[in-house]
Amino acid sequence: MSVSKTVAEQRARTILAYSRRKQLLKVIGTAVMVIYALVTVFPFYVLFIRTFVSTKDSTELHLWIPPARELSMDAQIGNLAVFYNLDLKKVKEALGIPQTEFLQSRITLKQISEKYNIPPEKIRSYFAGFYTYNGWITLLSGLDFWCALGRTLLVTAGSLIGLTILSIFTGYGLAGLKRRGQMIIYNVYLLQMVIPAMLIILPQFMIVQWFVRLLPGYENPGFLRSAVQILAVVLINIKGGAVSTMIMTSFISAIPKEIEEAAQLDGASQMQYMRYILFPLLKVPIASLVVIMLPQFWNQFLEPFVYLDQNNTTLLPLIQNLSGVYSTNFQILYTAIFVSILPLAIVYLVFRRFFIEGAMAGAVKG
Amino acid sequence: MRLGRSAASYQSRAVLVQYLFATPQFVLFLLLTIVPFFVALPVLFTDQANYTDPQIHHVGFANFTALFTDAGLQAEYLPALRRTVTFVAANYLMIYIFGLSLALLMYEIGFRGWFFTVVYLPLMASGFATGFMAVMLFSVSTGTANLLFLKLGLIQKAIDIKSGTGTSIILPILVGWRWAGFNMAIFLSGLLSIPRETIDAAVVDGASYWQRLIRVYFPQMWPSFIMASTFCLIGSFGVFDELVAMGALYGGNEEAKLLSVFFFNAAFRSDRLALGMTMALETFLPLVLVGVFMQRLQRRLQY
Repeated sequence: MSVSKTVAEQRARTILAYSRRKQLLKVIGTAVMVIYALVTVFPFYVLFIRTFVSTKDSTELHLWIPPARELSMDAQIGNLAVFYNLDLKKVKEALGIPQTEFLQSRITLKQISEKYNIPPEKIRSYFAGFYTYNGWITLLSGLDFWCALGRTLLVTAGSLIGLTILSIFTGYGLAGLKRRGQMIIYNVYLLQMVIPAMLIILPQFMIVQWFVRLLPGYENPGFLRSAVQILAVVLINIKGGAVSTMIMTSFISAIPKEIEEAAQLDGASQMQYMRYILFPLLKVPIASLVVIMLPQFWNQFLEPFVYLDQNNTTLLPLIQNLSGVYSTNFQILYTAIFVSILPLAIVYLVFRRFFIEGAMAGAVKG
Repeated sequence: MRLGRSAASYQSRAVLVQYLFATPQFVLFLLLTIVPFFVALPVLFTDQANYTDPQIHHVGFANFTALFTDAGLQAEYLPALRRTVTFVAANYLMIYIFGLSLALLMYEIGFRGWFFTVVYLPLMASGFATGFMAVMLFSVSTGTANLLFLKLGLIQKAIDIKSGTGTSIILPILVGWRWAGFNMAIFLSGLLSIPRETIDAAVVDGASYWQRLIRVYFPQMWPSFIMASTFCLIGSFGVFDELVAMGALYGGNEEAKLLSVFFFNAAFRSDRLALGMTMALETFLPLVLVGVFMQRLQRRLQY
């Protein structure tokens, strides 16, 4: 009697200690999570702040947007124009100087103020904005940027739509085959995963060049050349791989055969079955595919960098080109990088549930 | 008899139609991934300098042996190889430091959606942006993290992103940070596939946490380990975007010149296309074979 009582007591004590330890673990674990989350967000935060930090100020630590420095009236207009990437036409317009006047690059702001009778405050307030927002103003006022953004959107959207449609075809085709037939094709797709990007692209560029040269007029710059180059990148993106094939095939294989048989008895062709019955059933795998591939397409660098001409690039190669032009003005580069991340980050945060489910699904299937 | 034959032919026609549906994408895949290797094969035996070289001579196996005989080439290639191997090793460590520990943390205290969301967020930044962020944080005179650490007294001297440390330690940390969510998902799905009873049995038998990890968790997570390793191995040997952002192509950052940069330069910038392709093949082919082997191993363990 007493023995069993002590055993019960001991067990109760162990369970109590275990649950207490578990609770402590939860508190510590949550604290670790919070700290790691802050560290994870830190680089993004710094990037955001650095878009407002003038390159002049960048040798000091800034964890918040620094106040604009007092503008010296002895500054020469030429230096300012170079540093802030100013268009002197716009400067004249804003300050009320006739366009016919020629501004020598060595002329100081003080001299301008005296010569054209402009109050120094007006000049100061005009240049103050550039100090903090130089990156944003220069980037967003450039046509190149908007064109590159448009091309990025075009490539991403085209690749996603094309890949989804082709992968559904592949998945439907493979789902109707026996396991052996499926595996033959799937194994070939698997190869893509183990070939490093740089090994593929050298001969791939060769074969693509060989094809595009067959087109008359490709050598001359123009719409055809640009369109073909973008098409090449899209085709490379939609060629499929292990992930897209696996997601679609496994999902379509799980759909009961009776549905297709019923559709056939009602006289539907295979294409009609795919369009009207199969496609609406595929919301889940399409969502998985899109959330896995969207970041890859949006963030693609190597292929656009290699295949697209400099005047026809997407966002990231454009930033690479800019880094040659503005090698001393980090502010613009950091702004461009921030802008390249922002749209995808917003999409991710809005649809985070799908992204997490897709990540877990992709992790299971490989 | 007649009926049987027509049924068989109907069936084989149906199979053919199924293959036909898979064909468009498969042809595209073959054309852009497999066929290029065969097209490039004859090029390896020539001195083709670039993609538009009009004068091509046959040079036999010179490209294949250059790696072992040409001292000037070795002086370029071997440092790149050494840097790449160091980077891959450091990067491989990071999938455990970030991915595995975060997955274990999440597994032990329960799935937290907000935490997953935050950890997965860096994957939305491109590799190119990651390289830029490395420069932003650890540039000698303007790096924000450098300035912060100096102020806090954590480091005595600023870390230089353009030094060996930058490529072999700082970059892997940032790449690990970027892929943390991805690797965490792989390991977490491995952990979640472990039958609960085996863990409970170990707890009842009084196994410590380490014993449980090594004897119960890890042996049942082999597919996850292999999968994460394959991704890491192939991805880090081919790392390119991050390096370009760190100035490997035009920025004069010598320490960021890893193998992929070497091959890129050979093919697109320094007129050594055939040589570059041959060396890329010599370097990466063993890797591809290892990758195929690991995929087979993973599949065998999984089913």
